[in-house]
Amino acid sequence: MIAASHLTRRFGARAVVDDISLDVAPGEIVALLGPNGAGKTTTLRMIAGLIRPDAGTVAIAGVEMTAVAGSQLRGRVGFLTEAPGLWDRLTVRENLEIYAGLYGVAHPRPVVDRLLDRLELAAHAAVRSAELSKGMKQKVALARALVHDPPILLLDEPTAGLDPEITKSVRDLLEERRAAGCALLVSTHNLDEAERLSDRVAVIRQRLLAFDRPDILRRRLSGGRIRIRVAGDASRYLHAARTFDRGASADGSHLALQLADPETLVPAVVRALVAAGADIIETQLERPALEDVYLHFVNAGVPQQPS
Amino acid sequence: MSRRVRALLRKELIEISRHKTGLLPIVLVGVYCLLLAFVLTVVVPRVTGERLSEDADFVKVSLAAGAYPGLSADARVQTYFFQQFLLVFLIIPISVAMTAAAHAVVGEKEARTLEPLLATPLTTAELLVAKVLGALLPAAIVTAPGLLLYLGSIAVFAEPGVFATMITWRSAAAIGLLGPGLSLIALQLTVLFSSRVQDEDTARQLAILGLLPFGGLVAAQFTGRFWISTTGLALCGAALLVVWLLLLALSVAVFDRDRILTRWR
Repeated sequence: MIAASHLTRRFGARAVVDDISLDVAPGEIVALLGPNGAGKTTTLRMIAGLIRPDAGTVAIAGVEMTAVAGSQLRGRVGFLTEAPGLWDRLTVRENLEIYAGLYGVAHPRPVVDRLLDRLELAAHAAVRSAELSKGMKQKVALARALVHDPPILLLDEPTAGLDPEITKSVRDLLEERRAAGCALLVSTHNLDEAERLSDRVAVIRQRLLAFDRPDILRRRLSGGRIRIRVAGDASRYLHAARTFDRGASADGSHLALQLADPETLVPAVVRALVAAGADIIETQLERPALEDVYLHFVNAGVPQQPS
Repeated sequence: MSRRVRALLRKELIEISRHKTGLLPIVLVGVYCLLLAFVLTVVVPRVTGERLSEDADFVKVSLAAGAYPGLSADARVQTYFFQQFLLVFLIIPISVAMTAAAHAVVGEKEARTLEPLLATPLTTAELLVAKVLGALLPAAIVTAPGLLLYLGSIAVFAEPGVFATMITWRSAAAIGLLGPGLSLIALQLTVLFSSRVQDEDTARQLAILGLLPFGGLVAAQFTGRFWISTTGLALCGAALLVVWLLLLALSVAVFDRDRILTRWR
């Protein structure tokens, strides 16, 4: 649904986005992770057709984003900008109805009514935007991005600064859109949110550092590290463990091994240890948090090829 | 008019209707123009006891407006001034509407409302037309009753016969073509500059610079050196509408979404 290929954008001599390629399929949420200034907003703006890449292309549903096709393609995208950007003197309903008109919605009123109900904004429909809290403004901005029922959503930090209750309702809505077949690209600093929501994660820092499913990225970082707790002194079974990993170590009742493919090798390791007389109490595959994965890639700064 | 232009125009009109201090200067300037014409031609002669026709210069410049054999000398001078102030009355409120037009792009950027707007399918031409009409319509809405009041007051307070000289094809050309043409150019210039500079004041000042030749033309007519005929006014109005379309095309060509979003602070 979204295909960005070799996107590059410079401001002066500085490359803010450098050769980033990613794709988002229908019914998929991709989280765009990166530190401040990593190029997340610039990437979203290029995909939304708001700014031009210096190199590379964006295709929406197979149609390349060009100056000519831009107007039509922007109609297929819902873009939540970093700032809510509501017209302060207009009410919530007026903001949404006018955007419905701008997106060519034939009968805005029932569409806006449904959105107001779904986002629990109906009680605020007649309130001027200037009088809303930050969280409410963000919800209205999200409603604005959804007002034309777009098949593609680009969301720049949709839950930044929101309280847990509103955050949960926003996440529920995003999952609902995914279930409806929408392609979502979500920029976020919230690793927990990325972990919960996303099907794939793109870590960027000017360049694409990693792009894969969260579990695959974790495995890539942990490299199949397992810890086995045995009854008694683990060093007695070290020789059996080292037939699988020469670097295996023992610490009290724990054995630690690094396996190339833990999913297939762990049963064999367990059998070998049992054959060596070990009573196995617990086997644990180490799973680094997404935060560790993120920090690893961002700090290493080395682009990784997707698996 | 496309649905998208109508939608954005609705927003512009709601905004200005809720920004009373934005409308007030248009009303005040309109009232000022109205009063000025009547103070000069009706109140001052009555208060001082000096007839307009006693001033040789007035009589001389009023000849430019035409002979009007059926009118008294005072009525001829009044006709001249009321015709002149009709043009001023049509143009001056627009200079105030330029404030709204100056806000068009740079104001949206400052309020951080421009990016979501540019993310819609709205084309650049649609955006700029809606912005110009959004500034023009409130001024026109305020000016229209003012114009009726102006003509009504002439019927009541001016010398006999003067009102009839105002209901002419020349007035129709001024109201129907020249006024709208000049207004569209003024507002389009302001919107154009609003998309190229980073603050509203600069946009407005640059647009006023662009309008100086037209202001000079009106001022020159006040001196009685020349008089634009009905045909002249109609042709000027039509030419101004063509110039507006060219300015619109230029505004679209130089509107750089990328630069506005990435380089403006």
